Amino acid sequence: MSEKKRIRCKMRHNGRSLLLVLSLLSLLAGGCWDDRELNELGIVSGSAYDWEDNEWKGTYQVINPSSGSSSMGGSGGGSTSSPPFLTYTVKGNTIMQAIERTNLTSTREMFFSHSRITVIGESLAKRGISQLIDLFLRKPDARETVYVFLAEGEAGRILDQLMQLTKNQGAGIQLMIEQEARLTSYFPGIRLFEMAMQLSSDSESSTVPEIKLTGNRVMDRTDDTAQTDLPSRIAFGRLGVLKVDRFVGWLSQREAFGLSFLTDKVKKANISFPSTPGKSDRDDASVTLLHSSTSVHPIWEKDHFVMDIDIKAGGILTEIGSELDLEKASSMRQMEHAIENNIAETIDTSWHAVKKLNADVTGFAVSIHRNHPKRWKRIKQEDSWDTVFQNIEIRPHVKMKIERIGLIGSAYKSLEPK
Amino acid sequence: MKLKFLSNHKVAAAGPETATASSRPLDSSLDANVAEIKRRIGNSSDVVFRSLSNPASTSPSLTFIYIDGLVNADLITQAVIQPLTDSKDLQEPGLDNEKALLLIKEHILTVSGIKECKTVESLLRMLFEGNTIILLDGAKTALAAGTSGWETRSINEPTSQGVIRGPKEGFTESLRIGTSMIRRRLKNADLRVEEYKIGRRTQTGIALVYLHGIASEQVLAEIRKRLDAIDTDSILESNYIEELIEDGGMTPFPTIQNTERPDAMAGGILEGQVGILIDGTPFALLAPATFFSFFQSSEDYYQRFDISSFLRIIRFTAFFVSLLLPALYIAVTTFHQEMLPTTLLISLAAQREGIPFPALIEALIMELTFDVLREAGVRMPRAIGPAISIVGALVLGQAAVQAGLVSAAMVIVVSFTAISNFVIPSLAIANSIRLIRFLMMLIAGSMGLFGIMSFLMVLLIHMAGLESFGIPYLSPVAPMKPSYLKDIFLRMPMWKMKMRPSTYGSQEAPRQNLPAEQPQASGNPFEPQGSENS
Repeated sequence: MSEKKRIRCKMRHNGRSLLLVLSLLSLLAGGCWDDRELNELGIVSGSAYDWEDNEWKGTYQVINPSSGSSSMGGSGGGSTSSPPFLTYTVKGNTIMQAIERTNLTSTREMFFSHSRITVIGESLAKRGISQLIDLFLRKPDARETVYVFLAEGEAGRILDQLMQLTKNQGAGIQLMIEQEARLTSYFPGIRLFEMAMQLSSDSESSTVPEIKLTGNRVMDRTDDTAQTDLPSRIAFGRLGVLKVDRFVGWLSQREAFGLSFLTDKVKKANISFPSTPGKSDRDDASVTLLHSSTSVHPIWEKDHFVMDIDIKAGGILTEIGSELDLEKASSMRQMEHAIENNIAETIDTSWHAVKKLNADVTGFAVSIHRNHPKRWKRIKQEDSWDTVFQNIEIRPHVKMKIERIGLIGSAYKSLEPK
Repeated sequence: MKLKFLSNHKVAAAGPETATASSRPLDSSLDANVAEIKRRIGNSSDVVFRSLSNPASTSPSLTFIYIDGLVNADLITQAVIQPLTDSKDLQEPGLDNEKALLLIKEHILTVSGIKECKTVESLLRMLFEGNTIILLDGAKTALAAGTSGWETRSINEPTSQGVIRGPKEGFTESLRIGTSMIRRRLKNADLRVEEYKIGRRTQTGIALVYLHGIASEQVLAEIRKRLDAIDTDSILESNYIEELIEDGGMTPFPTIQNTERPDAMAGGILEGQVGILIDGTPFALLAPATFFSFFQSSEDYYQRFDISSFLRIIRFTAFFVSLLLPALYIAVTTFHQEMLPTTLLISLAAQREGIPFPALIEALIMELTFDVLREAGVRMPRAIGPAISIVGALVLGQAAVQAGLVSAAMVIVVSFTAISNFVIPSLAIANSIRLIRFLMMLIAGSMGLFGIMSFLMVLLIHMAGLESFGIPYLSPVAPMKPSYLKDIFLRMPMWKMKMRPSTYGSQEAPRQNLPAEQPQASGNPFEPQGSENS
């Protein structure tokens, strides 16, 4: 091999290894574009949106990792009295502009993948929230699984409130609504994608629970949580009704409960009823519903729809204040009847309220579309759903069964010496 | 490819000295022969030359040569020197040299093995093997009396592959003891031991141990071919052989198993593997080996199958943990924060506050620290042991965390990884994982989970392409042989494993309920039917 040839060969070899190294390096560069260290992240646990002065006003609750958890690791960070989260409030013509502007005041990049709740202010809800939904569905790191709440007045205020027992307020509120939906069934929590689906369905309506403070002061200092009874707490109030993408009104707690029955959202619930309806109409007994199922059948009757609503529920008697003899089948039947009446009444009140708001949060439209597709087509053509909806009559048939009466047989009151 | 690889060694090994060593016949003069041997050996103090001249001076004079330390001195005195001095026959006048030699060989010497040497080279070789050379004046042939006997280590418990239940004896450095240990376990005429001498300078004894009719003929032929092709000047440990006969190609994965345990070796041989014992090391080789061979421990068969199966699962889990845990930690904390539960994320973020390094660097620091400590632990003198453990505990533990250099979670990750690495029974594969782990961490740090997945795929493709003496490395999983899977991921009960799987190329044959007329003496029950390779 001549010297020249050898050099050329060597050069070719060098060139090849250079190419290999370059391609490997480019692989690294290509991969690193979206890497973020944990201490560059502002973990957003909740966001709130208001409409103020024709601008979006976003409030972002960012978790402060160095508060509490452990004093280990990063001894520089941890003073225990620092609040568990910080909020940033920014305004912008678009939501993204607002988010971008947080970077002007914060050391951390907003990271939304762990966001749990979003609170919509009444001002924004009245203007329309379609753009917000669009953002959530479009943005890569936004979670559509956040729970949505409405706030009367300014939404951002809610995110300043500290909670007891939990440091991460967003996760705390999520836990609250999940517990509530499981245990009392007044407000089924709604996630953003569910809301979007309901608003874009035939019903075009959705319900969102209201979140509020029980007092008028925001407890936003860490010292504030050092008392056993906070004067102001986060609570769920009413049920907000959205139609298309706008807020149209509130349903009270009782009306919301009726709606839960109508839409088969009841899991576990407590119902108080008069045990001896003949003697007194005062509620003096409670039953805990263990299961309940609702089925809705729309029937066309001459000129209007009748909704046949079958509710089957069962539960356990948990308290009784009268001297009713529980060993008699007739007295059980009497109580069951009282409960059935109670449920039917609740449903009725709820239906009236819904009708007044003229928002089909009951999902009747979907049900009618499914069962009477042809008639639905005509309704659509004639654009007469609103009138059809107003003319709907509901016929609730409630079947309640007290399955257990608890650990003592007769009412305690009947054991008392006379 | 393999042969090319070996031929490189041939060129490198052929030195100028060895080239001149052509065979030289012995001279008939004793003095000339002794002078020649002395020239060859130099003035080594351990070589003993002892002349035995007869007072009668009619009989030929003798010279013994042996190497002190390689011979059994008592045996030389009793079986060589004494008979020679006492013998009346030798003192008969007019004894012809050739006749005297025959006489010595057949009547006088009482040692068991006597060989004749006609060249200086064969004489030297015999000498180095511990024989006593008897040179007779006037004879062109020397006698080598088998008097070898040197100090050997007593049989101890294996240090690197301990078991709770099972035989506690391990191979020693002596080849002969090794073969005897296997022979004791396999009292069968089919057990064959083939010996090789490899290494120009070391002349190391290598024994190929296998069961005739069970080990695949192709595999055997391949092993013999590769052993024959070795041309190197030294073999000091089994790894020399391992590297020289391994299938070619760059791979971090071992394709030959090593073991310190005669029972593990017997087990392998019974399944059709070929054992390679190397003189001078307690580590013997088993070939061919598949990836899954490295996850089988001999103790798997010494305890109940359910426990063994559970341990197998633990081992495979530990394998993945050891390979992936630091990489996953890096990937998740730098790319995929959304995958973590919020509480964990916050806790991790809190720990990372104030840590000056990115997760990748942090992990590399800790992993390297651990490897340094581990290496120190192996090399350090016993007396310093406690010091190292204390310093190690401080470096890898609380102190590093409190100093704000690493996060507590990283300490957990590194420790768990390290512990998992020790769960894998074979040190060979544990070490290769250790190496791959670093690569995995770098890729995770640059490309996240996507990188980990791609690299795993590359790794799998690479492993699927590997072979060990013609046996696919991932067999019996790829290529899939469902009936061979009884002893791979789980260890089925003994009564379920009736047939020997031919993972290693042997015939599939019953291991239990053998046909009645199959004693070892009357021929081979597993007569090869053209031993097929899988």
